[in-house]
Amino acid sequence: MNAIMVMELKKHVQDRGLLFWMLILPIIFTVLFIAMFTANTDDATRQQVILSIVPGYVVMFVFFIMISMVSAFIKDRDKGMTTRVASTPISPYFYLLGKWIPFMCIVIIQVIVLFLFGRLVYDVPLGQPIILLILSIFLTFTVTGVGLALAVIVRTENMGIAITQIVALGGAMLSGLWVPLEMMPDFMQAISRFLPQYWAHQAFQDAMAGNIVFTELMQTLLILFGIGIAGFVIAILRYPFFLKRAVH
Amino acid sequence: MLKINNVKKHYGEIQALHEVSLFIPKGSCYGLVGPNGAGKSTLIKILASIIHDYKGEALIDENVLNRGLKEQIGYIPQDICLEEDISAAGNLYFFGRLYGIKGKVLRQRAQEVLQLVGLSERSKDKISTFSGGMKRRLNIGCALMHDPKLIIMDEPTVGIDPQSRRYIFQMIEGLKSKGCTIIYASHYMEEVERLCDHVAFIDKGEIIEKGSVSELLQKFAIPSIFIRGSHINSEVLEQYGSFINKNDGYLLSTQEPLNAMENIIKYCRQNKIDIDRLELVHPRLEDVFFTLTGSSLRE
Repeated sequence: MNAIMVMELKKHVQDRGLLFWMLILPIIFTVLFIAMFTANTDDATRQQVILSIVPGYVVMFVFFIMISMVSAFIKDRDKGMTTRVASTPISPYFYLLGKWIPFMCIVIIQVIVLFLFGRLVYDVPLGQPIILLILSIFLTFTVTGVGLALAVIVRTENMGIAITQIVALGGAMLSGLWVPLEMMPDFMQAISRFLPQYWAHQAFQDAMAGNIVFTELMQTLLILFGIGIAGFVIAILRYPFFLKRAVH
Repeated sequence: MLKINNVKKHYGEIQALHEVSLFIPKGSCYGLVGPNGAGKSTLIKILASIIHDYKGEALIDENVLNRGLKEQIGYIPQDICLEEDISAAGNLYFFGRLYGIKGKVLRQRAQEVLQLVGLSERSKDKISTFSGGMKRRLNIGCALMHDPKLIIMDEPTVGIDPQSRRYIFQMIEGLKSKGCTIIYASHYMEEVERLCDHVAFIDKGEIIEKGSVSELLQKFAIPSIFIRGSHINSEVLEQYGSFINKNDGYLLSTQEPLNAMENIIKYCRQNKIDIDRLELVHPRLEDVFFTLTGSSLRE
């Protein structure tokens, strides 16, 4: 597993596109949208917008790692690397874990950098930093777990990109990452409760304000963990089919 | 050493392998020859323990082929499976680590392999700067990192320059002399004839013939004569055997080539027909395949 992890990390470090998608673009969007939504507003409103946009955009942009995950798996499949690795003693579980863990590292770095950016530039409060870190780790697990499942299910990179857009942008819209949830119709508010983005966003906001309660936190962590595990199980179950497509 | 009994494999409705049985002796170089789509790669992937959902059995030293035996196998795929933005040494380390090789042993083995494939001086260079032949050589090197006893090569010389081809041949001969068992799948007959001591012809998922190269040549390759001349035509040749057009001349197949040559010379002298070229053609594996299937390998 270490071999796969080391190789993946080396490739990611050299990938400048990843740096753009994971850090530069979210920062640009955060700055632009905060500027747009806080123009001609009073300080209280401004603070409220910032407190929603910073964690909201963190939650939205972490989902874009799924594109890189799909791309990594499809490239490996198409150039024969999946088949080649299957001829070695490494088990499918360790192969998947070896590919998965580096992406988790990237996302956790992304979340930390984006929160630090919010702190340094917009002075957002980080009321419960340890809880924020725990939430970040669970969100990372969820997003990359879903990404892993998607990566072994989709047949083409374009299909992966399309589904990621739907999951990331659709989920962001429905979970109140763009517009405050209270302003959305009731049925959309009901749908949002089925989405990990909603739970992560709410918990991040509460932890930043320093008033997240234990049961709420546990509920959120359980939901995020459950979705992540479901992703990994799906990936394990689908891997033989993915390998079949790679072999033929 | 390696035994395959009645192996069958389907891809949906398509039958890729039909009751394939082979015995590959320890230390031999065994050629698998057949046209594209014949089932070579499927068989190779079964032997490399990549495909598991097949019927029949494959045994290495009487042990059923499974994940536990993968450490004995070095698989060289037809595709070049290297990371383009990583150095040659980095790629070798990667494959070495997959087999549990670590630290000093890993570095030392990578140096040995780099020397073996003739890329010691390029060890720190990224693969993206390598020529196709160099990539092929390193692709082979990656499969040798764990010093396997059974090496499975799937078309290892596709699309490379003559220099790299020669290098690969030398490497294979070196592995043979070390006692490694090699399975060499190719549709280049001349390579198989040069490198392998045994060969199996595979076509439409079936082994149509197998044996030692010399046995097969003796058994199936019909001696032939090549003849070319401005007035040589089918009327002249039909009395001596069957023939086909080849390289602006004719390839005449006959069980008695020397008699046929003598008679043709006599006939041409009598009828004042000039002969540009007349030669005895050494039987090749290509001819064996033609005899067995009625078609040329590259058709």
